[in-house]
Amino acid sequence: MESKSSTTGNRDNPNRNLHGSKTMMASHFLRALFRIQQTSTSSSSAGRSRRIRRAAYASMAYSAGTRRAWSRALLRKLRSRARLRFPRRLSRAATPQRRDMDQAQVLRKLVPGGPSMDDCKLLEETADYIRFLTTQVRLMQTVMDSISS
Amino acid sequence: MQPSNREMPGMASSLNGISHTSAAAAAHVALRELQNGHGLQAPFDHAGGGVGHDDFLDQMLSNLPSAWAELGNPRPAWVPPSDAPTAGQRLFSAGRAGESAEEMQYDESLLLANRLRQHQISGGSSPTGEALMLQLSRSGQQQMLSGLLPLPLTLGSAGSADSPNPTGGDGLYNGFGGSLQLAESVNQQSFHHPQSAPMPGQNFGAAPPAAGAGQTPAASTLASASAGGGSGPPRQRVRARRGQATDPHSIAERLRRERIAERMKALQELVPNANKTDKASMLDEIIDYVKFLQLQVKVLSMSRLGGAAAVAPLVADMASEGQSGAGRDGANGGAAGSSDSLTVTEHQVAKMMEEDMGSAMQYLQGKGLCLMPISLASAISSATAGHLGHGLVPGVLPPPNPSGDAPSSPGVSALTAQSTMAAEATKDGVAASKSLSSK
Repeated sequence: MESKSSTTGNRDNPNRNLHGSKTMMASHFLRALFRIQQTSTSSSSAGRSRRIRRAAYASMAYSAGTRRAWSRALLRKLRSRARLRFPRRLSRAATPQRRDMDQAQVLRKLVPGGPSMDDCKLLEETADYIRFLTTQVRLMQTVMDSISS
Repeated sequence: MQPSNREMPGMASSLNGISHTSAAAAAHVALRELQNGHGLQAPFDHAGGGVGHDDFLDQMLSNLPSAWAELGNPRPAWVPPSDAPTAGQRLFSAGRAGESAEEMQYDESLLLANRLRQHQISGGSSPTGEALMLQLSRSGQQQMLSGLLPLPLTLGSAGSADSPNPTGGDGLYNGFGGSLQLAESVNQQSFHHPQSAPMPGQNFGAAPPAAGAGQTPAASTLASASAGGGSGPPRQRVRARRGQATDPHSIAERLRRERIAERMKALQELVPNANKTDKASMLDEIIDYVKFLQLQVKVLSMSRLGGAAAVAPLVADMASEGQSGAGRDGANGGAAGSSDSLTVTEHQVAKMMEEDMGSAMQYLQGKGLCLMPISLASAISSATAGHLGHGLVPGVLPPPNPSGDAPSSPGVSALTAQSTMAAEATKDGVAASKSLSSK
């Protein structure tokens, strides 16, 4: 039951606290980190950071389950071993005109699985994606703090 | 929205074009004449009217059927409750003196009628008026418009007299600019009644109902949308809340917009700096926040390389991590060093249990494990191993004898699936606790 609520709880739970998902995320991420550390002690730092980043998104997607379009798309991307690319190199010189017209497009590029959603669903998925992203970031920060202290 | 914005000023300009510049002045003139009329105010205080109105009434009534028959409308219900006549007569005669003046007042009333519509129907929201203007403008004839618009005017005022919609009448009065507020409310009523009478007659005489087809839908929409008119043409399906057009497109549009607004509100809670009321800037904030979060993930993954060696003890501390992160969730603590594969299995089982219990059971049995109720598991654990940690959720016990046990033996061993257990997991919940019994 809890496993179900960990994924659907985000919908039912008005607090949106990701109760069950947090532990899953944490354990998955930590184990992945451990694995990375064990297997690639001598590889390049760029490769390692890429692996770590991939592990972060993987734990996000695993803890979100298959209920969400973005997590499904993310899992697909991860399974196909494609390079995780995010369009963050957009030029910051955004003209005001570009704002109104492309906002939905820009958002679709950011959120995994975006292009195949209509506006309403896009906003919903963005909210969930943001929730999981903040949890993941907080998790990573906590891990880093406990490492360095 | 944009087309209506474009058309609205267009309509207004065309109206202004019709009127000679001193439309407002003409209205003032008319009002002053009204006010100067002797005893005008007295009879209008009550809707009984006075004597001598019959001839005027007949005039109006004779004008009306022809006009409305051309429109294809039934006799409007606004045949006024007789509070107009004397003043109307005066106005009428005064207007007759100069037709241009009448037209000016008429166009003024057009503009005022628009505002009336807005206030009457939607309590002041302009899109309603714009939608109305859109529909009316589709008929393409300004005379039609001018003929049609006074209808809601009078409907409103008639409504204020006897319909169960007094607010419509108030709206009528509130909606007008300063010019009409000069006159008393009753005068306003009378002001509009006679105006509507000559107008249709004139205009429909001037412009034969070429656009009769265009009028009818507009008129029916008018009538159906008017708040005050009780009888009238049959209503469209659903009475829109704000009296907007009732075709399915706008309803779907409205639903869609509401849903989007809901989502935006939810997003506002998540994103910091969400005090922007503008949708576009809100979206910008959202986009920036998502980019920022993704950037943070990237940066954190890069900076983690230095302390990589220290991750191992963290895995053991997983329980405390989980608890600090999420509150007590019954995370399994304990010897993580040897339990790496164990926890992997746990989560796989958890995942499978979400989808299909049967496959989860099979998977477990393949590994020599099985699922059992927590109560049973705790009983067994306490009996065998003797150090059961937390109440509901037995921790991972050091496996004394990992050799495969017969899957069918009851209560042999089961698996802790931490994510299947909630803080509120009851003893009846199906969960697994790992305990290896050497029996």
